[in-house]
Amino acid sequence: MANSNLPRRIIKETQRLLSEPAPGISASPSEDNMRYFNVMILGPTQSPYEGGVFKLELFLPEEYPMAAPKVRFLTKIYHPNIDKLGRICLDILKDKWSPALQIRTVLLSIQALLSAPNPDDPLSENIAKHWKANEAEAVETAKEWTRLYASGA
Amino acid sequence: MASEDELMMMHDAATDDGESFDDDFYSGGDAHDDDDDSDDDDVMDYDFIDNDSDDSDNLIAHHRSQSNYSILNEADIHKCQEESITKVSTVLSISRVAAGILLRHYNWSVSKVNDEWFADEGKVRRIVGLLENPLPLPDGVELTCGICFDVYPRNEISAAACGHPFCLTCWQGYISTAITDGPGCLMLRCPDPSCSAAIGLDMIKKLANNEDKKKYNRYFIRSFVEDNRKTKWCPAPGCDYAVDYIVGSGSYDVTCGCSYSFCWNCTEETHRPVDCGTVSKWILKNSAESENMNWILANSKPCPKCKRPIEKNQGCMHITCTPPCKFEFCWLCLGPWTDHGERTGGFYACNRYEAAKQEGVFDESEKRREMAKNSLERYTHYYERWATNQSSRQKALSDLQQMQTVNLEKLSDKQCQPESQLKFITEAWLQIVECRRVLKWTYAYGYYLPEHEHAKRQFFEYLQGEAESGLERLHQCAEKELQGYLDAESPSKEFNEFRTKLAGLTSVTRNYFENLVRALENGLSDVDAHGAYSRAASSKSLGGGNIKGKGGRGKGTTSRSSSSRNIDDSGHWSCEYCTYANVRSATVCQMCQQRR
Repeated sequence: MANSNLPRRIIKETQRLLSEPAPGISASPSEDNMRYFNVMILGPTQSPYEGGVFKLELFLPEEYPMAAPKVRFLTKIYHPNIDKLGRICLDILKDKWSPALQIRTVLLSIQALLSAPNPDDPLSENIAKHWKANEAEAVETAKEWTRLYASGA
Repeated sequence: MASEDELMMMHDAATDDGESFDDDFYSGGDAHDDDDDSDDDDVMDYDFIDNDSDDSDNLIAHHRSQSNYSILNEADIHKCQEESITKVSTVLSISRVAAGILLRHYNWSVSKVNDEWFADEGKVRRIVGLLENPLPLPDGVELTCGICFDVYPRNEISAAACGHPFCLTCWQGYISTAITDGPGCLMLRCPDPSCSAAIGLDMIKKLANNEDKKKYNRYFIRSFVEDNRKTKWCPAPGCDYAVDYIVGSGSYDVTCGCSYSFCWNCTEETHRPVDCGTVSKWILKNSAESENMNWILANSKPCPKCKRPIEKNQGCMHITCTPPCKFEFCWLCLGPWTDHGERTGGFYACNRYEAAKQEGVFDESEKRREMAKNSLERYTHYYERWATNQSSRQKALSDLQQMQTVNLEKLSDKQCQPESQLKFITEAWLQIVECRRVLKWTYAYGYYLPEHEHAKRQFFEYLQGEAESGLERLHQCAEKELQGYLDAESPSKEFNEFRTKLAGLTSVTRNYFENLVRALENGLSDVDAHGAYSRAASSKSLGGGNIKGKGGRGKGTTSRSSSSRNIDDSGHWSCEYCTYANVRSATVCQMCQQRR
């Protein structure tokens, strides 16, 4: 199987993710592909996503860690830096990637992005506009979506 | 009226001067910013710029055109780069590697590096990632690589000045990935995301594989040309030379070592008298899909059902769209043909259309179509002439080559002339090539000359026409008449006369074109001065008068009103041999020394 010659680094990262998970984050490799992770991130407290459970998928490409992992939200989310396909606008997933970063650091950064949306560098134009025009209302929508799409189950 | 015109002119002149002053002032600033030469030169540069901005004339630039740029091959570039690095490393007492990193960061400007460094060394170090106190590797016989997390003996681990440990394999992978990503590898930092320590040439040499090292060096050299504001690559295909230009030193026209001439500012081929903006507009226009659209708009109508454009090139008004649409409609009113018949005018007319047209229903789209057609025709007019001169120039270039490789030798045999005495022929051909280039661009100039400036247009067209015919004469002489001497069985007595004539024509044409270029670059500002007069006078004498106005500076006048060879109305006489316009008092032609 393709998993047989998995780099030591990935094995180590996986072991550590499972043995000492970061608070509010769980990541477990798929059984048939050790490079594919099912991820869950809890909505950070005091954010519009509080109380939500967000599913993501994370894939480590062949070049990893020289290339960044590919991460995408599976749960619908109302956020200026996340588009309707779940793609995430985050510098360390693009040009700021460094091989010294890890799955853990990436997921922590995504969690932080939920706490601090950045409408000035938007991926979803409409949501960003909404955010800048009327933040209170946009936050309400985000809460609503969290209730509708991310309330566990 | 006249005084008003004069006022206008003065106003124009003032704005022009203002602009050129701004330009020069600006480029002067650049020259200072980028000045990598010793500081002694600064003063001189400023003097020169001041002079230039006082005088809108390009004469100074003209004289300097030999020295305001230099051609660099790869070895030269490398040498310049090394020299810059040496300067910085000596002045700042830092390693050559660090000097390279600094220079790369400040676009290879030695003075900029010096300024920034001495203003705030700490800040510069932070920005570019040069640590003041390098840190050693962490303690321990074995160390963990920060990328693959494997443990290695100390000697298999390496680090930049920051001491963050990574194994050799991971370093190689990291560097290789960055180099594959492009020239950004020149700004490489330590892989640790919290660390900004720069990775310089020394690390690359130590850690990268050979192929990557080669690529890196290539980027390093390229960066010196591409990031340096004084240097650009020659845009000719396959040419590896770079041109180093003294910013703010006048004409942008440069000729590369590969013999390609281009405008250093916009890197299009040389395009005087047209400015860079017009050239880019024109080139965009030539390539733009918009011209296709214009044609479609002007010459077709969309099928009312499937909207595909249909060109009606013959036949009646009963149109059947091609399958699968097969819609039958009337070309005039675009209504379905089923509504048509004898009572609406038959196959060739449409009463419904006539009626609707009278009510104004079709006005807008018809008008748009008409306008598109007109503008397209206008563009085509200029484009065709632009392109024809372009191909004539190509032809002249290959003729010139043929001349230099074969014909000159043959001619030297036939006419018993040493080849050194036949230089005038090469010069004539070089002039033809140059004239074709100028003429070509005058058509772009003409296209953008505003329609409503009638006097200017008239003057311009006259100048252009004269230029065409003058060049034609030179071309004729250099091609047809020369052929006679090439085909001759024995040396002919008239060859010396031919030499005089061709040399004379070359020089006259050169003068004419130089004046033309200058007049066009000035935006034909003379027309403003003579505006009132130009409307009254015939275009011919207007042209003569103006050209003389230019020529009055002693750069040779060219009143070649081709019909009259004698004294023209301003008291000049045209030489019969070379057509040069001499002052009345001269009895010998100043150009070709023939008696009057």
